[in-house]
This record gives sequence, structure tokens and C-alpha cells, in this order.
Amino acid sequence: MKLNLIGLLFGAMFGGVLAASNLHEYDTIHNMLRLKEFDVFWFMGSAIAVSAPLLWWLERRGIVTPLGGPLTLSRSRPERHHVVGGALFGIGWAVAGTCPAPALVMISSGAALGVIALAGIFLGLSLHSRQAQTSAHVGDGEHRSVTSGT
Amino acid sequence: MFDVVPDRLPWFIGGPLLGLLIVGLFAVANQPLGASGAYVHTMGLLTRRTEVVVWRVWYFVGLFVGGLVVTQILRSGAEVRSGYDALREVFPLWATVLMVFAGATLLGFGAGKAGGCTSGHGMCGTAQRSPASLTVTATFMATAVLTTFVLHLLTGGDL
Repeated sequence: MKLNLIGLLFGAMFGGVLAASNLHEYDTIHNMLRLKEFDVFWFMGSAIAVSAPLLWWLERRGIVTPLGGPLTLSRSRPERHHVVGGALFGIGWAVAGTCPAPALVMISSGAALGVIALAGIFLGLSLHSRQAQTSAHVGDGEHRSVTSGT
Repeated sequence: MFDVVPDRLPWFIGGPLLGLLIVGLFAVANQPLGASGAYVHTMGLLTRRTEVVVWRVWYFVGLFVGGLVVTQILRSGAEVRSGYDALREVFPLWATVLMVFAGATLLGFGAGKAGGCTSGHGMCGTAQRSPASLTVTATFMATAVLTTFVLHLLTGGDL
């Protein structure tokens, strides 16, 4: 139950930061990918520059998280599906000008076409899960089962 | 409603804030802040097919709520609109709808195949120094920039 509240809270803060930075607007993403404005690259870069060393330090200290057991970072090896999936994702990202998290903020900001984007993302993900019947590719940045605390 | 949040928060505030959120979720729950996983679990809840991780659904709801609070309450001048201003200036509505839907389907499929999206691989994965995530991120950045330039050329520089 605590985890649900944490999920809602972190989702809301993430959504809030995206909205405040205007990342839910097609124009912001398009101008970034057209290499006209570099703010979003700096945004992503500074997020990584802050989180990567802190995560490294927390991992080295071997901290135990209150809700998910000992902190474990995952470092998978690249495989073919990473390249293929990444390539397709990039094309779709450029055409739709949004990605999963900002699409939700797009809708809550009042942009009606965000609903179309949301429907497309759901369709794409379900097409993939239908195709990959054996194992879902869970990446290093996605939900994982942890040994305790869930 | 109120006018507290600027039109565009500078990247050197928003970016580090997001970085702290990533660290925060790892430190509290040992989980990455990836968004496409939240879609998968929300979809699982709606179709009642797969095993659902409930807190990921709350995370999905949270994204929407956070956007709502900032755009509708903390910022002034929010209204219902179509969105996609730059696309709409170049294409008629039906073509815009088609493009958005096709693009979103493709990115959803790609995120499924790659096992993550901009937040999962692009930020949480690279922050963990994952070679797989670095590969995905480099690939989608390259194809996205390339696709945008193709669109730019195809529309005669309008887009």
C-alpha cells in the first residue's frame, strides 16, 4: 500500500516536472530533434549527470531501501532487440513528437490530440506483447521484481 | 488558475530535479522511473490478462495528475485545444491525426521491443550505466533526429 502512494507521488512529481519544462508540447520535442533548441538535451543530460553519480555512490554504500530491499542497479548487455526496438521507437518519437510519459501530460494539459497518441502507444505496446509470447523484454529502466518489500 | 509556474522552467532546474526523482525512487523502492512499464501494467489491469503490478498503475495515474496540477492549477491560461500546433500549420487535421496515431503506435511497439522508452532507457538506464540502455538511447536519438530531418525535407522546410 505504501508503494502505491509512492508510485502516485513520484508519478505526479515526474509529470509536474515534464509539464513545467513544456516537454508535453509537440513543438518542444520537434525543435529538439530538429537540433534547433538544445534545452531538452541539456535537460536529459543534467538529469543523468545528477542521478548517475548519486546512484553509483548509493550502490557502493550498499544501502537497503525501505520498500524494495537492497539497492541493485542492473546493467544488461545490449542485444539485437535493443537496437531494433530503439530504432523503431526513435522514428515513432520523431513523428508523434511525444513519448509515453509526456503523452499523459499532453492530455492533462488539455491537448485533445494527446488522446490519439495515448491510444497509439497502447496499441503499439499490445501489438508487441502479442508478438513476443515467450518473454517480455524488461529493460534496465523498467519495472522489475525485487526479492523483498513489494 | 494561479500563475506560479513559468511558461518554461529552465533546463538547469528541471533536469536536476528529475535526476533527484530518479535517485529518490531507487533509494525508496529500488525501482526505476520508467514510464512504458506503467503503460504495460495499466493495460494489464484494463484487459485483465497479465499479472499487474498495482503501484505502476498508480504511477501512471500520477503522471496525469502531476501534469494536471501544473498546467491547470499552477499555470494560467490552460484551455482545451487540439495541440500539435506546428504539425497543424503544415497538415490538415486528418493527416495530423493519422501521423500522430501511426507515430505513437510505432513508438509503443519499439518501446515494447527495446524494453523501455526515453525515461526507462534514456534516463534511468543510462543513470545505472547500463550498456543495453546506452545502446537503445544512442539508437533512438539517431533515428529520431534522422526522421525529423527527413520530415523537414519532405515538407520543403515547413516542418
